[in-house]
Amino acid sequence: MSGVHTDLLSLTNPQTPVVPDELASNPDQLLAGVGEAGSRILAGPKAVAGMESLVDHLDRLGPLPGLGDAAHIRRVVEESGLQGRGGAGFPAAVKMRTVAARGGSPLVVVNGSESEPASHKDRTLMALRPHLVLDGAVVAAEAVNADQVIIHVHRESRSAITSLKNAVQERRRARLTEPRMDISYGPSRYVAGESSAIIHFLEDGDARPLTDRRAARAGIHGRPTLLHNAETMGHLALIARRGPWWFRLAGTSGAAGSTLVTLAGATPPGPRVFEVGGAVTVGQLLTDRAGLDAPPRAVLLGGYAGRWVDGRDAWDQPLARDQLLARGLSLGCGLLGILPWEACGLAETARLLGYLASESAGQCGPCIFGLPRLAEGMSELAFGRVSRRDVRQLLRRSATFADRGACHHPDGAALLLQYALAVFADDVERHIRRGPCDRKSHLPTFRVPTPSGAGWR
Amino acid sequence: MGKLLVDAVRCKGHGICALIAPRLIDLDDWGFPVLLASPDYDPEQSKLAKRAVAACPEQALRLVTEVGP
Repeated sequence: MSGVHTDLLSLTNPQTPVVPDELASNPDQLLAGVGEAGSRILAGPKAVAGMESLVDHLDRLGPLPGLGDAAHIRRVVEESGLQGRGGAGFPAAVKMRTVAARGGSPLVVVNGSESEPASHKDRTLMALRPHLVLDGAVVAAEAVNADQVIIHVHRESRSAITSLKNAVQERRRARLTEPRMDISYGPSRYVAGESSAIIHFLEDGDARPLTDRRAARAGIHGRPTLLHNAETMGHLALIARRGPWWFRLAGTSGAAGSTLVTLAGATPPGPRVFEVGGAVTVGQLLTDRAGLDAPPRAVLLGGYAGRWVDGRDAWDQPLARDQLLARGLSLGCGLLGILPWEACGLAETARLLGYLASESAGQCGPCIFGLPRLAEGMSELAFGRVSRRDVRQLLRRSATFADRGACHHPDGAALLLQYALAVFADDVERHIRRGPCDRKSHLPTFRVPTPSGAGWR
Repeated sequence: MGKLLVDAVRCKGHGICALIAPRLIDLDDWGFPVLLASPDYDPEQSKLAKRAVAACPEQALRLVTEVGP
């Protein structure tokens, strides 16, 4: 074991020795909050200390080492196996290579517009460790020879914005030699965090997803655009310092590195964002951080347009991306929602669908007309009287949504409904026979934002 | 030869495409096109696909040869 570690360490950057206590524990068993022992991307001061200043950041981690030319940086990122942490899990190095191959005058965008209402991991990272995110943006810029970085956030993400503004100023004052950095503020709408929506917004000031993939690929005003999620940038900053193999140690063979997770739903008061290594299971996370000693009724994986899994089936499931994928599941942007036994999964799903329908950008037929019908159908099932035939029709209807919108918003909503009907099949049966259950009066476990009426600009 | 693609933002649900090429295009409950799985179009269907593309009042329908995504 120690022999393996030594071999791997010899491949990391020789100027920056790895902090020994980070290796004392097994990084693929990592489960830690902000500033706790063993944490990697969340290492540093505790959350109460607030934003880590540039001085403290550099004291703790040292300056970003020179990594050589762009091609070499891309090779390091490829060796790290880093996959995007925004939801799609696309290999970071492939994105970089595609942008670099186009030449021209590339641009780097940090996607900090965390649009999942219950997700907090990007906002937490930007608020507490803005310099880690910005360092990562510098690495990304060097990987594609970009001379400009745009950090895009939702206007309502106040603490993240305050930290980012401070951090950009600190870096300017310190006269770091690095690309120009600007912060961009967009509307807080659900689908406005989708990458083509951000490109649309930065180009035209309209935050609705683009239907034309070619326009999205062309980039902002035709400039090759490298867009990575804020957490992805944070990992890049550490990969640059510690080396690709250090990063891989915290993951599995098929999913490199640690990942940030936000707990949602029936959670105890206190922190909700945690860093997990590859071997950690849903059960371990919920036992250790949500105070559960037995599986909940169900978990919601991936977000409000995610998938339900029966709590008992999920309990021993590792959170590693590849092992979730093997079961057709994904953590998406890292959201793990807890549905307690006293809640009604059908009522929760009805509320989530209502929210998703209200967040449609109103561009595509299936979304404009279809989503409200799905939401209504689910509400009737949860709160009213329906027949078996109604449920069958609802299911059949939901099956026509796949891959028909400009973005995957309708697909996500339809899948949420399909998973609900499968995972809560017993409840569906009971609702058909006896009407609404008394659990429906239980307060919503998953709170949905009240429609803000915010536009798309 | 080729594959039909709907630009979902342009499409306004006139439904003309489904009238012209019913074996390639179905309509959902609200009149918007659902492309039917059809890996390869025979010459007859290809002709209808082209006609459906030409007839779309919103120019929301395209016929692409499968090269990339």
